[in-house]
Amino acid sequence: DEVVNLPAPPDLSVHSTNMKHILTWSPVTIPGETVNYSVEYQGEYERYYTSSTWIPSSWCSSISTPECNVTDDITATVAYNFRVKATLGSQSSSWSTLKELFNRNSTVLTSPRMKISKDGYHLIVEFEDMGPYFEFNVTYWKKSPNSQKELYKIVREGGNLVHLETMEAGAEYCVKAQTIVEVIERSSTFNQVECIRAQDESPL
Amino acid sequence: GLKRLHLGSCVLSMNFQEIRNEFLEIKGYVQAEDENLDNRILKSSEALQDIKPTERCCFFHHLLRFYLDRVFKNYQTSNYHIRRKVSSIANSFLGIKRELRLCHDHLMCHCGEEAKEKYTHILSHFEELDGQKAVVKALGELDILLRWMERT
Repeated sequence: DEVVNLPAPPDLSVHSTNMKHILTWSPVTIPGETVNYSVEYQGEYERYYTSSTWIPSSWCSSISTPECNVTDDITATVAYNFRVKATLGSQSSSWSTLKELFNRNSTVLTSPRMKISKDGYHLIVEFEDMGPYFEFNVTYWKKSPNSQKELYKIVREGGNLVHLETMEAGAEYCVKAQTIVEVIERSSTFNQVECIRAQDESPL
Repeated sequence: GLKRLHLGSCVLSMNFQEIRNEFLEIKGYVQAEDENLDNRILKSSEALQDIKPTERCCFFHHLLRFYLDRVFKNYQTSNYHIRRKVSSIANSFLGIKRELRLCHDHLMCHCGEEAKEKYTHILSHFEELDGQKAVVKALGELDILLRWMERT
């Protein structure tokens, strides 16, 4: 092996949206060569109780892309650190680590995609399946000129049709929702209000 | 979701389901390592839910520190999957311990004789066993602790 000076992978950072955490870094490029990377992590426990040991990431030992899905590694609401090294043949770079530790409670929560429909007079709502951490706080009401009584329902998981209300003939109903992630005790903003009108009374 | 743990006037919320799922992934492996089936470290006589409410927080604090200081860090395995799960549980316990400190700071975590006595029993059961055997047994008995927590 020709000895090549392998720099540590720069610009390590975690991008987290809806409790899916992706570690990225800038690639180390050696003309004509394929550089591989290995990722390790440590939680707060490893830093304070086991003299800073590191654990190989679940999915990223010797990968060639400068990115790693670390969602399965981050399973507690404490500060995590990551390190990455580049390898080329028998040569390895030094480790690079995060500039700032990452805690999953900083994940970006987007408002949920929602589909409302009607089945006869039944108002139905459906959410995308966002994974085991997500519940949906649904607010809905019948549109009327004077009062607007809001009703609430917690939908425990996405991916299913959920019956919200039996509608009055000809009335219009509106729905909005936000996600709730209890393990980090946070919720998203509400999504766009969507409305639907019940069919008129069918003549006898 | 989150579970509320009622420890006297101290009420904690914790990711109980997540911790239990992580433990269920290693339970078979760890309990199979425990060859000493005649002894138990967490005996029902020292069950968390049977301690009087005013001392439950202190006793639970002791148990958390026991697992953080004596068990997780001393459990040795070359199996990375197991190691990741133990790390996950340990970091979750650390998060709970941080919440518990809030109760402590608000004087809701009184330590009386009963908590001290029961914790001393547990420690003696643990110390009667040889080092790594004791660690393996205590880790395998996490489901007993989780059951106590579930009923509290």
